Amino acid sequence: MGWDQWANDRPSGRPYLHCVTGREQFVLRTVEERGVRFIRLWFVDVLGLLKSISIPVSELESALVDGVGLDGSSLEGASRLREHDVIAYPDPRTFQVLPWKPDSIVARMFCDVRQPDDGPFGGDSRATLRRLLEHAAGLGYTMQVGCEVEFFIFGPLGSNGAAPTTLDDGAYFDLTPLDVGSDFRRLTIEYLEQMGIPVKASHHEVAPSQHEIQLAHTDALSMADAVTTFRIAVKEAAHELGAYATFMPKPLAAHPGSGMHLHISLFEGDRNAFHTDSKEPLSPTGRAFLAGVLAHAREMTAVTNQWINSYRRLATGFEAPAFVSWTRRGGAALVRVPSRRPGRAAGARFELRSPDPSCNTYMVLALVLAAGLRGIERGYELQAESIDDQPNGAPQLPLDLREATDLFDDSELARETLGDRLCDVFVANKRRELDDERRTVTEFDRSRYLRLL
Amino acid sequence: MTDAWIYGTHGSERTSRLLAELGFSPHRVAANGTLRPSDGGSRAPALAVILADGLEQPSCSELCARLAADEDLGEVPVLVALASGGLAEGIGITEGHELLVEPFSADELQARIARARRAVNGIDHEDVVRVGSLEMNLATYQVAIDARPVDFTYMEYELLKFLVTHPRRVFSREALLSRVWGYDYYGGARTVDVHVRRVRAKLGSEHAARIKTVRSVGYRWEGT
Repeated sequence: MGWDQWANDRPSGRPYLHCVTGREQFVLRTVEERGVRFIRLWFVDVLGLLKSISIPVSELESALVDGVGLDGSSLEGASRLREHDVIAYPDPRTFQVLPWKPDSIVARMFCDVRQPDDGPFGGDSRATLRRLLEHAAGLGYTMQVGCEVEFFIFGPLGSNGAAPTTLDDGAYFDLTPLDVGSDFRRLTIEYLEQMGIPVKASHHEVAPSQHEIQLAHTDALSMADAVTTFRIAVKEAAHELGAYATFMPKPLAAHPGSGMHLHISLFEGDRNAFHTDSKEPLSPTGRAFLAGVLAHAREMTAVTNQWINSYRRLATGFEAPAFVSWTRRGGAALVRVPSRRPGRAAGARFELRSPDPSCNTYMVLALVLAAGLRGIERGYELQAESIDDQPNGAPQLPLDLREATDLFDDSELARETLGDRLCDVFVANKRRELDDERRTVTEFDRSRYLRLL
Repeated sequence: MTDAWIYGTHGSERTSRLLAELGFSPHRVAANGTLRPSDGGSRAPALAVILADGLEQPSCSELCARLAADEDLGEVPVLVALASGGLAEGIGITEGHELLVEPFSADELQARIARARRAVNGIDHEDVVRVGSLEMNLATYQVAIDARPVDFTYMEYELLKFLVTHPRRVFSREALLSRVWGYDYYGGARTVDVHVRRVRAKLGSEHAARIKTVRSVGYRWEGT
């Protein structure tokens, strides 16, 4: 369905006008009416980092019909296998004028990356999530996702590796009479709403310079697109105010890191399949889904927490989870199930608290959904609730990226859900990052050993 | 393309031609069947024309009643075209939204269509719908508030267009899904709520409240 349907139904070799649908017409007319100069074609690499190719308006019609050729290894992060041609087809449903380029009007569209023979390209994590969502829709399920993203805004960055300046420092206020934090949040929310990403709430977080923005729930693909868009919107807004935004999981040793809590629910048509009228926090379907997510939590940690730095957030507490546990109260479990509110059946959900905002959201949501569906299909039993943040024998999350990568590499669920190509490329990237770190002498080495030894 | 469906056979070729000249995409539809073109098409047309002369099974008034009662076709503007003798016999003169007497010119047809669409959907002769400071141009897909452009995605635009051109009627989420999204979605019924929220956010304070949530039913557009 969706784009595939359109692509497959497209009569090949017929004159252009015969296959322009309402969606393409909408894009073409809007570009003309609004004086759009360039279109950015967006896709993400295996690590979820945004890649963009810019095309002039004159190339738009042919891009919509025939796609744009690119080198598929550009989706493979830093560890590229080999060059090969793929075709990026812009998805007109994601056409949106970018709000932060007022002097020259620029629009974006997310792309579906396909093989030249029109087959699926295994390295495109966005298309992989979309295929899984279609599979789930075939079973009658749609996953809804809400999201709380934390991040830091620092002063202009110094040399590479230098410690960042927090904006809440008195010294920084001497330089800027404005409260950069609240200006920043206002500008960001304006950008996000103009991009069709409604914001539920925003506030200053615990750490200096740290902020949180809550994105209202939507379907999984729209949420993954929203997070991708969110990261660039936040960086643009910070840049306009002379600051720098980062989604690095743990930039300051002495303060909490940045997480990205995902609020997950599953709908069967109009009905929240997690809701129950009984005293249980979740319905039997919800319990089995959550059991699936917990059963596979360790092997998906490499994706929810994909950087070496991610584990510094998980290691130091501050409410970051360390064990595979769930709770209704307490702030340190991997999963929190919010209390039911009478008359709010649609709100039944659980909150996955391990991911950080620098993850590949497409891959994370694909794995969460696949693990949950497996829990339902195979009737997994939900483990006992953890009380007062005590693990009570719950398994520990991987301690570092190496352990997580090994678990991921051996994960049958990951291979089945994401395919061998995406898994292999992901693992190659992570092994390379680990090798690079293994060869690095750090501040830790010097402070610990230089005088001692 | 904007579809126009033609019921009845008397003079249908000429009416087809005139509609095509006005930029519509005409389809001839059997009056005694499903009321829809045989080649499918899930979307309701912009317009229906009933050629009443010689129409017997069903009669013109029966056909109008069936269209009005149809879940998808209920708010399609209906033009009834009569042979001049029909006026004296009173056939169909109280049905439909506009009346035409054959032979009619392309100019007259255009004027009658504009009146019917204005009355039913609030669309003016330039394909623009105005609600206070909100202006929606259906020909160019552009939306402006206080003459400042507001950028919508395609589905947001389609949802707003549907609501704005069907004022005062409550639509369930399921009805909106099938009428606006057609078969092209997999987000489930919650998709509608999510899009309504996005559209409200972009409409801003002056217009957001025009999309009324009708509890445990659906949504309604309050045009005035």
